[in-house]
Amino acid sequence: MRFTEEIIMAYADGELDDSTRFEVELAMRQDPALAEKIRQHQLLRSNVFAAFAGTLSEELPQRLHVATRGGNVIHLDNVRQLRTPLPPLPAPRKQGWSWPEWGALAAMLVVGVLAGGLGSQGLGSGAQLAVFDADSGAVKAEGKLAQALSAQLASAAPANAHVKLGVSFVAKDGNYCRSFMLPKMAGLACRSGDAWHIPVMASAAEGSPGAYRQASSAMPAAVLDAIDERIAGKALDANAERAAATQGWQR
Amino acid sequence: MSAATIHADIAALLPRLRRFARSITYNAEDGDDLVQVAVERALTRSEQWEAGTRLDSWIFRIMKNAWIDEVRSRIRRDQVFAPEESGEHVGDNFAEAHQQRLAIQKAISLLSDDHRIVIGLVLVDGLPYKEAAEVLEIPMGTLTSRLARAREALQGLLSDQARTVA
Repeated sequence: MRFTEEIIMAYADGELDDSTRFEVELAMRQDPALAEKIRQHQLLRSNVFAAFAGTLSEELPQRLHVATRGGNVIHLDNVRQLRTPLPPLPAPRKQGWSWPEWGALAAMLVVGVLAGGLGSQGLGSGAQLAVFDADSGAVKAEGKLAQALSAQLASAAPANAHVKLGVSFVAKDGNYCRSFMLPKMAGLACRSGDAWHIPVMASAAEGSPGAYRQASSAMPAAVLDAIDERIAGKALDANAERAAATQGWQR
Repeated sequence: MSAATIHADIAALLPRLRRFARSITYNAEDGDDLVQVAVERALTRSEQWEAGTRLDSWIFRIMKNAWIDEVRSRIRRDQVFAPEESGEHVGDNFAEAHQQRLAIQKAISLLSDDHRIVIGLVLVDGLPYKEAAEVLEIPMGTLTSRLARAREALQGLLSDQARTVA
């Protein structure tokens, strides 16, 4: 009797019903070629299994432990949903900054004053919130922005805080990052040594004067994209955020 | 099933999920990315899981879909198999077994997505055909013919490798 390739394979995989299996076994005794084919299938099966078996005994990465806890942490999906406010606005406009705009920002920062343009009411007239550091080529948070990034908890923000903190998370490079919101700007700051570098900043959604109160929902797409690119795992929950702040945002 | 139980049950599946992910992505980091995305999706949709059905099959299905529609587009395929593995200890049994494992992983990485996924479910994880067909949402007949073709392709790649080495 001749068996199809699929029957031979199913035999090797232990998937045949009793009567067909019996037929195959009978045939194998008289047909060395069939027996060899089955042996090849079984060998492939055991070799493929062995090739990945080591993964089972590896130590699980922390981020997967964290992922299975779920539930009480902020889901990135929830953050993403904020990108498409309901009802949908006509023609979603990406609010990312192009290079010329970054250039303009850098120029402003070289002057050293990041005040009126960013809407710093309540931050102190002429308050300097960031500088463009020529040595590192990075925009560094300063003054009240740097203080808020280091000390303020998103979960326990003072009612009159002028810098609002959004999500905090561990980035793929292992450093902490935090999103923040100023009256007219929003951005992402990532820890670099003792400083906070700002890889992206964009103007916050234009809106009614009340928009600032709903800081998290007005987070510009460019900032959300920057979060997506960097986040390793999920955003920190309130306890993890507090613990990170206590450690000075060092890991 | 309570929320606490499903969290614990998913946690207990992590080693198997990682092993399956390793067989369909190309390196450990991408595999863990895939597991993470799948676990997060499973937990946000845990109400969609039907009690009494297999949790592992349900999560494998989420992983398969996550791979197809999201994760594979951002893999680091260029970082796959580091060349430093080539044999300093040829003849050593351990090293030979290691070489063979790498050869198989490499050959599997060259298969099509469909073939790699079916191999991952049946040969790497050891799921019965019926469960594998449910994960893939295909009839049994399609599963067995796909699996047979995948094995044939894999065997072909391994023979090619053997010829190249020899």
